[in-house]
Amino acid sequence: MSTAPELPAAPTVKENPSFEILYWVGCAASYDRRAQRVARAVVRLLNHAKVNFAILGREEKCTGDSARRLGDEFLFQELATANIETLGKYNVKRIVAACPHCVNALLKDYSQFGGQYEVVHHTQLLADLIKQGRLPAVPGAAPAPAGNVTYHDPCYLARVNGIHEAPREVLSAALGGKSLCEMKRNRTGTSCCGAGGGRMWMEEDPKQRVSTERAAEALGTGAKTVAVGCPFCLTMMTDGVAANNGTDVRVMDVAELLVEKLGL
Amino acid sequence: MTPTRETFGNIPLSSQLAFYALAAVAVGIFCWGVWRRWKLWQIGQPIGFRELITGNLLAVWKNFRPGAQRVALDAGAQQRVRGHGLGTVAHLSLYVGFMALFAGTTLLELDNILSHLSEAFKFHRGLYYVVYEYTLDYLGLAFLAGTLFFCWRRFRKPAALGHRASDWYVLLSFLAIGVTGYLVEALRILWSQPTGITAHCSPVGLWLAGQLGSYTVSEARSAHFAVWWIHAFLAFGFFASIPFTRLFHFVAGPMNIFLAQPGLGSLVPVTMEEVEKTERVGVNDIRHFSIQQLLSLDACMECGRCEEVCPATASGKPLSPKRVVQDLKGLMEETATGLAAGKKEFRALHEDTIKAETLWSCTACSACVNTCPVRIDQLGLIISMRRHLVAEGGLSGTAATALRRMQSNANPWGLPPAERANWLDGLATKS
Repeated sequence: MSTAPELPAAPTVKENPSFEILYWVGCAASYDRRAQRVARAVVRLLNHAKVNFAILGREEKCTGDSARRLGDEFLFQELATANIETLGKYNVKRIVAACPHCVNALLKDYSQFGGQYEVVHHTQLLADLIKQGRLPAVPGAAPAPAGNVTYHDPCYLARVNGIHEAPREVLSAALGGKSLCEMKRNRTGTSCCGAGGGRMWMEEDPKQRVSTERAAEALGTGAKTVAVGCPFCLTMMTDGVAANNGTDVRVMDVAELLVEKLGL
Repeated sequence: MTPTRETFGNIPLSSQLAFYALAAVAVGIFCWGVWRRWKLWQIGQPIGFRELITGNLLAVWKNFRPGAQRVALDAGAQQRVRGHGLGTVAHLSLYVGFMALFAGTTLLELDNILSHLSEAFKFHRGLYYVVYEYTLDYLGLAFLAGTLFFCWRRFRKPAALGHRASDWYVLLSFLAIGVTGYLVEALRILWSQPTGITAHCSPVGLWLAGQLGSYTVSEARSAHFAVWWIHAFLAFGFFASIPFTRLFHFVAGPMNIFLAQPGLGSLVPVTMEEVEKTERVGVNDIRHFSIQQLLSLDACMECGRCEEVCPATASGKPLSPKRVVQDLKGLMEETATGLAAGKKEFRALHEDTIKAETLWSCTACSACVNTCPVRIDQLGLIISMRRHLVAEGGLSGTAATALRRMQSNANPWGLPPAERANWLDGLATKS
């Protein structure tokens, strides 16, 4: 089960060809400085739980989710075909991704083009690992974060793919049982951060920002930590919190909060 | 004495015949109206209707089952109407009352036909009669209560709700049908003088009869005859008007729920073969939408739930999913009418009907699709129009740059693929 000791923290499929699950990193966690920290948190957790995983490394390409939702179907299909070929080459069966847009694309878009995989969001895998007792706290672990915590459900996780309990289970562990301050619009009734449909890549009039409104709702719960499960939500909610002058409020991925709690 | 009442009691044969003639006219107008809408949708791209009914009975049932289940649960059991507070309660109340009264009238007619064959077949009597009368008498109140709520809501004109003059015709005719229904019952009680359980199984009618005061039997008969005709006229008027008012959701709603793509997160792919055949990508003309997509436009009640959950609407952007559906519906009607008149040029879909900035405002969050009671796929409509814009080079600015970067570097940041695993460098330190 455990990765061989000589392997790097996040081995590629070539370095660890006997991997059991592929960690699909995604563009945001590969290139965006803030989201990179989430990827590192995920890797720490996977290694802590001794999960036998691998990454595609340089061979991974954008899933094409934004391209497809912007209307560039053929660019999407080009990227999808390339990725499906790569995934086939390494005989990938199970995938974990920390980005709901990658999860949805790999699960629902790629199946239309012959790519059939078991795809889970990192919070689902983490919830399972917690249940199996594979994520114990290290000695001297930090206490749960001070102040209230709220969770912003990503559209493509909660509404589109019905995944809203797993992140809450992980948060429950990360908060040491302290309950979340839920926003009025939660789970499948969540409200968008403003990044979907390719809007992540568009200029937005500061007076018309979706993220400002959603962050205001999050701050309205009195939360000092806004937990998210999507790198796009992470960017948007961070901007939104700043736009609402929430200087003492941090926006964190669920995995980061768990890393903090476990003291990894 | 067995509790029952005479069907068409106090209604002479000539009026009965006129009643059936009018019923035929109302059904005729209804069918003509539905056929007109059906013809409208045919300007769209064909869908696999034929595949749905190909094969043996088992295969056909297999094709029908998912859609039939959706219709039964979403519409029949009103599951997709849930989640809107008093609006949901009122719709449920109106719906249950309406369906019960409609089923009751149908059963009454069935009993009438059967009893013409033989008195032995008559089932509108005894315990059945008591339960029937009692149930319908109370559900009539549910029907009226729901109608009254919608009158009150329409009077307040909430912003997300669509308004047409014919809405008042519909609601007032519902009110009048309900009230005259009870009046017919009360006047019938006054002239037929039922006793015991036969009288008490119509509690609302009996109460109303008491309020009406002293009528002689012949006065009650005349009034009953007059109000019965008013009630019949209103009911036929309502039925005939279904395809011409918002009530058309009775027909187009379940049809769209049956044909809709279930589930969120999927889009219909475009194939190269398709592009070679049609020489276009996406939708540039109302006729490029599928028949099912055009039908879905007719299912829209303008209830505004999509608008209420739309983040683009909420943040003041020029997009309302409801507006998109209604604007496309307007273009569909205009184009179909123009085609019938032999016109060749039509109002353009892009810009003249739907602005590019409207389409670009969508975050694909799927809240509208998820909340629509009749399963309209607003996102599918928007993406198919975006496809045309992108193919025509209609996307500029930072989003177009992101697409170019995805093309050249396989990531929207446009950073070198060789740096894709650089995030690993920080693993040694805790950051």
